[in-house]
Amino acid sequence: MSIKPGIFLPELLRHLFKKPVTVKYPFEKDPVPKDFRGNVVFDPPKCIGCMICVNDCPAEAIDIIRVSETEKKFKMILHNDRCIHCAQCVDSCPTKTYHMDGEFETAVLNRHQLKIEYK
Amino acid sequence: MEFKVALGPQHPALHEPISLRMTLEGEIIRDADLKLGYNHRGIEKLAESRTFIQNLYLTERICGICSFSHQTCYTQGVEKLMELVPARRGLYIRTLICELERVHSHLLWLGVAGQEAGFESFFMYTWRDREVVMDILDWITGNRVHYSMNTFGGVRRDIDELQKKKILDTLGLLKTRTEYYLNIGASEPTFANRLAGVGKLSKEKAIALCAVGPTLRASGVPMDVRKDDPYAVYDEIPFEVATADSCDVLGRAVVRVKELLESYKIIEFLLKNLPEGPFKVKAPRKVKENEVYSRYEAPRGENVHYIKSNGSDKPERLKVRAPTLANYAATIAMLKNGFIADIPLIFAAIDPCICCAERLVQLDNPRSGESKVLSFSQLRAMANDRYKKINFKKKDSAWPF
Amino acid sequence: MAILKPLLYILVYPGLIFLLVYSTFCEWFDRKLYARMQNRIGPLHTGRSGILQPVADIIKLFAKEDIVPEKADKHMFSALPVFSLAIVCTAALYLPVWHYSEAPSFNSFSGDLIVLFYLLSLPTLIFFLAGWHSTNFFSAIGGVRVLTMFFGYEIPMLLALLSPAVLADSWRILEIARFYQNRPLLMLVNIIGFFIAVIALQAKLERVPFDIPHAETEIVGGQFTEYSGKKLAFFRLLGDIEMVVGAGLIAAVFMGGFPGGLLPGLAWFILKTLFIIFLLTAMRAALSRIRIDQMINFSWRWLAPLAVLQLFIVIIIKGMEL
Repeated sequence: MSIKPGIFLPELLRHLFKKPVTVKYPFEKDPVPKDFRGNVVFDPPKCIGCMICVNDCPAEAIDIIRVSETEKKFKMILHNDRCIHCAQCVDSCPTKTYHMDGEFETAVLNRHQLKIEYK
Repeated sequence: MEFKVALGPQHPALHEPISLRMTLEGEIIRDADLKLGYNHRGIEKLAESRTFIQNLYLTERICGICSFSHQTCYTQGVEKLMELVPARRGLYIRTLICELERVHSHLLWLGVAGQEAGFESFFMYTWRDREVVMDILDWITGNRVHYSMNTFGGVRRDIDELQKKKILDTLGLLKTRTEYYLNIGASEPTFANRLAGVGKLSKEKAIALCAVGPTLRASGVPMDVRKDDPYAVYDEIPFEVATADSCDVLGRAVVRVKELLESYKIIEFLLKNLPEGPFKVKAPRKVKENEVYSRYEAPRGENVHYIKSNGSDKPERLKVRAPTLANYAATIAMLKNGFIADIPLIFAAIDPCICCAERLVQLDNPRSGESKVLSFSQLRAMANDRYKKINFKKKDSAWPF
Repeated sequence: MAILKPLLYILVYPGLIFLLVYSTFCEWFDRKLYARMQNRIGPLHTGRSGILQPVADIIKLFAKEDIVPEKADKHMFSALPVFSLAIVCTAALYLPVWHYSEAPSFNSFSGDLIVLFYLLSLPTLIFFLAGWHSTNFFSAIGGVRVLTMFFGYEIPMLLALLSPAVLADSWRILEIARFYQNRPLLMLVNIIGFFIAVIALQAKLERVPFDIPHAETEIVGGQFTEYSGKKLAFFRLLGDIEMVVGAGLIAAVFMGGFPGGLLPGLAWFILKTLFIIFLLTAMRAALSRIRIDQMINFSWRWLAPLAVLQLFIVIIIKGMEL
């Protein structure tokens, strides 16, 4: 291929009159895709307490605790500071108790706020 | 006058910690050495204490750029251990993600080459167009970096007609842009003269030093796991192995751009011939006792996982050989007798992924420079000693750093 | 009144205050243009479309911790940034932006072209000293590269500046400018020299493709590796002001200067310097950094012979005219 000095210049000058491609992020947000893996959401009534999610979670972020002695009722504690958003729990659950939402701005100042309880 | 100097572990040219020890004579490098072990994460040990399913996500996190390579390599190994035949549609989708990842990784590399050579506009433009691939990956897998698409017996998500159409539509754009960058890279005199003739690695030397990936192929050796030992559905796909004969950094750039163009063809073929049917089959949880050696052609070269199972749901041993590790010996040979100005380019030309390759840590005494070897029992005694000394009542005393 | 005008000249326009304001504006212009060429936005939030960003950067640097290396020569290390800033600010006084009188004054006399050129060369030497006195490996390599490059671009630049002076038959910038104001067509004769001077100015400013002395990916910060805080702020300001003064020098010598007294002169000054800065920015965006040996090769194989050719053309034209 031949050597041409300044071959990039036309492209550069053309873009002087074009809108920048940068998204002004905190002010404008791009939509997340349909199947985005955001935060884990738990639906307590559906849970049967099989503990597959607890065993499969690679980050050990899920605790399932039996609430009442007599009834089959469970609560879930999600340690969102450990969660790696892989959605394995969604795949593993036999009763479709889990789903992922589209939230991605999960930063907080105190990690204890990331401990979420679903009753 | 010769003097010794260390580049790194913190240096703007290095995105990850590694130390390059140079013996310089003016601007010319007379001797080079590497020191690794700044970012050892203990992944192999951690893998032994986790189930096969949990390790899917652990192996994915070995690397950020070629996350899918490590995960697929591991998944294929475990599938062989399970004697499981994955679903055909799942294999097609898996191969599709492999190629999309190769596209994003090579576009990333082009940008990095521009940045290391001080060609910032080139860097900005290639990375802008890389976002197109990242968006596709985000769209079909649900995340930009860690796709988490693999599972034993196939993939975790199907792709629908709309996604298929969108990918096919964007391929044209990517193809024209890639050809444009090839033209720019080879025609812009300041850039092409920085790349041409730099970091020579002859064919014989490349083979002798066990180089892998584009580094090897740029020295004229058509070696590609996808062709030599086909995994997934690569035996059904027509494609060519890109090579170059110039044996320098420009050759490595050309190989990568050619591979990009091949990848677009592969993606098109895969989408047009996507078979119907289920995308995954059910996999057993326990794996019987066996061992397996899994190979995968990552964007950076041949990636190898060795997995040994003992009949439980956890692996007994997982050994990872990232492609960067295989290229270090060749890097040292390439650096010798080069200029200081070429260090970042030569080093970037192997597309180093330093933290992926860290499998060992060596502790030297900083004062005397001595290193010592500890046996496992000694190490354990040291750990116990240290544990006993910790005052748990004091806040933050368990992790003093 | 006789004292007031020089005082205004030194302190307000085109002296210190104007220079500080205008050089930060030029940096913003350069950065914004560079970003837009790369399809980015560039500075955005500080002031209207980020116009105050360079000022904010400098204020931030002034507030940062100022570290002097233990092994460095403390006095030289601290004095060099101030010296170099003072030198380029002095150089700015020789730009013919506000000269009413024909009579020679302290800032306009026969030979001020050479003085201005000399003052613009001094920062290069100071960069070398700064690198050398930092006692850091990267700084030392940067300093040596500064000097090596200096031998590459300085002579072509001087030769390029010489040819319009020869054609105008004067060593006084004001008279050179006036000569081309009266006969604008003769500016076209110096077109080769103009481009050589712009390229050499790019090298003097150490910007891509000639940012070899402080090539970030190779030798970290080059001669500025050990500098931080206020001292680094001085060096950054120095770069901006040098860009304005260099662009002003080329505009005055090659493009007919800044005629029309105070306000029209100011308008011409801004217009012409911005045009040259646009050229410098386009060059920065379109090219990649070259190696030091390639730079020396380039300047002696292309720049210097072309500058000599330009001189020959000028001499022939001058002979035809007479």
